[in-house]
Amino acid sequence: MTLPETMLSLEVSDLSVSFAGLTSPVLAIGHLTIAAGERVAVTGGSGSGKSTFINMITGLDRAGTGSIRWNGSDITRLSETARDRWRAGHVGLVMQDFHLFPGLSAVDNVLLPARLARVADSAMIDRAHQLLSSVGLVRPGQKIETMSRGEMQRVAIARALLRQPGVIIADEPTASLDSSSGEAVATLLLDMAAAAKSTLIVVSHDPSLIGRLDRRLTLSAGRITADTAAKEQTR
Amino acid sequence: MIGFILADLRRLWAGAAVVILLVALATALGVTVTLQERALRLGSARAADKFDLVVGAAGSETQLVLSSVFLQPAPLPLASGDVLAKLSADPRVAWAAPIGFGDSFSGYPLVGTTRTLIASMVDGFAEGRIFEKEGEAVLGAAVRLPLGAEIKPMHGTAETGGETHAGVVYRVTGRLKPTGTPWDRAILVPIQAVWHIHGLGHHEDHDDEDHHDEHHTDSDHEHHGIDIDAPIVEDFAANAPGIPAILVKPKSIADAYRLRQAYRGGNTVAVFPAEVLTNLYATLGDAKLVLSAVAAGSQALVAAALILVTVTHVGQRRRQIGALRAFGAPRFAVFAIAWFELFLMVAVGVLFGFLIGLVAARWIADIFTVQSGIVLPVGFGKEDLRTLLLLLSTAALLSAVPAVLAYRQSPAKALRS
Ligand SMILES: Nc1ncnc2c1ncn2[C@@H]1O[C@H](COP(=O)(O)OP(=O)(O)O)[C@@H](O)[C@H]1O
Ligand SMILES: [Mg+2]
Repeated sequence: MTLPETMLSLEVSDLSVSFAGLTSPVLAIGHLTIAAGERVAVTGGSGSGKSTFINMITGLDRAGTGSIRWNGSDITRLSETARDRWRAGHVGLVMQDFHLFPGLSAVDNVLLPARLARVADSAMIDRAHQLLSSVGLVRPGQKIETMSRGEMQRVAIARALLRQPGVIIADEPTASLDSSSGEAVATLLLDMAAAAKSTLIVVSHDPSLIGRLDRRLTLSAGRITADTAAKEQTR
Repeated sequence: MIGFILADLRRLWAGAAVVILLVALATALGVTVTLQERALRLGSARAADKFDLVVGAAGSETQLVLSSVFLQPAPLPLASGDVLAKLSADPRVAWAAPIGFGDSFSGYPLVGTTRTLIASMVDGFAEGRIFEKEGEAVLGAAVRLPLGAEIKPMHGTAETGGETHAGVVYRVTGRLKPTGTPWDRAILVPIQAVWHIHGLGHHEDHDDEDHHDEHHTDSDHEHHGIDIDAPIVEDFAANAPGIPAILVKPKSIADAYRLRQAYRGGNTVAVFPAEVLTNLYATLGDAKLVLSAVAAGSQALVAAALILVTVTHVGQRRRQIGALRAFGAPRFAVFAIAWFELFLMVAVGVLFGFLIGLVAARWIADIFTVQSGIVLPVGFGKEDLRTLLLLLSTAALLSAVPAVLAYRQSPAKALRS
């Protein structure tokens, strides 16, 4: 079976992350693989290391030791600038608190990183508008600060998908939303990832969201304590 | 990118305005002090320009210059009339003119002098003509009186409780063109009239008294008066009374030095006002030091403002820079945004500061001119351009600090903050 080139696989080996002043590592993963196109939920209690895991595999942080290979290439060996460039090309990020830029419209927010990277051609601008309408936003010119939180997260999802990333990584994308808009955003994220055929890694506590993914990783005190396939969860 | 920066500045417009204002005010303070100090130096030097050599009675050289060039009211010792006679006859002297002061009218100093001095000091008349009789007066360019006005001189100044010279009235015949010196604020009258008012130089005493009585039969004065219709005699060969200052026009530069040598020591002093001013600036080193300290202090204030702005900017932008990196903006673009946004604010502040400084210095100079008559040439020079470039380069360097700091921190950390 040949996978689309855009899909990314992950292999983590001997990853250990410690912070100054803490006795035990915040994250310790001996070996973990995520196949290209797989859709994985990451759960665990508060402080269990979920965000640290996300920051490490996206290259947002380089605090630890060990290797993190995406399609075989180890991002821990890249320079800061090279990691930024790699992330821009391969990762679609959705964070709990959006990190949108007020003062700009929805579509300008979607396009900002691409514009700064000088890759926003007219095809990409069209795509930005399409993405906004497919996440259900009909006013692409609306200023971001006038939007509801649910709408903001939809803009953030559109931004994450703009450059057709090989992996979409979301850190508690519904945690700061009320339950109905959280559910809508969760559905949207899954549908969009499916349509884009990206690998998907989502940190979440939301059972309905977790239940719709292929695999579930459970973290506790920085260690993976459970790794279950979807069929095993279904009762 | 510009769009992003402008959106960001619009959003944080109050903060940006404060930053710009802070930088502008600190810059303006330094610019004002610098411009003002320079203008004062140039302006007073220009005011002294026409005064080649001033001779007076032995005493303070500085006071002699301040009183004759800048018309600062102060009692001066009188040089004997013989000195004027001797100078007038000296072959090295083109002309010598007595300058007498002490009286005033409605806030303007009255200066007694000669037509020769006026002709050589001023470019000519804006309107009217020079005085031709003892009872006539001409106005400096900045004196707000009409032609034909009556001048009733007061001894001293109104503030110091001066009294009017009863019955003495000059009539204004002309207004001079501006000179940019304190003499623009003076009312110029024939020196012989000043002497007569004060009962001096009456070598033809009875004649004068006769005239006097004819013209003022109704006044019961014991004062000395002027004969308003008497012709002006500017031949000081003999019998001139004591004189506070004599302006001397030497025939050559060499003559100027010889004359200064000849009239220094004994009962007289002879000074080059330009030289006295130079010495004055040197001895006023303390005052200049204060000004320099103020200027340096304000520069330090600018620097502190810049650092403060930079530090707060780093704090404010940390999250934003982290987010830009996390979502795929390349390093150069993030750096450029962080740098340019800060630099833009500081540069606008600095430019505003120069503008405000210029306006403030002009404004102060105008007030100074109204009060003193000395025109201060306020304006930017080459050295100001250098200061501007220096400030802008410093700002450019400092503006890079947040951008550099942003890269010393992982985006994960920046996003958490
Ligand atoms: N930069 C840091 N310095 C010190 N401790 C940190 C840092 N980042 C995270 N931690 C600690 O690591 C642990 C895991 O954090 P995190 O990955 O954010 O947990 P989660 O996302 O699962 O709630 C927590 O105990 C947190 O306090
Ligand atoms: Mg977390």
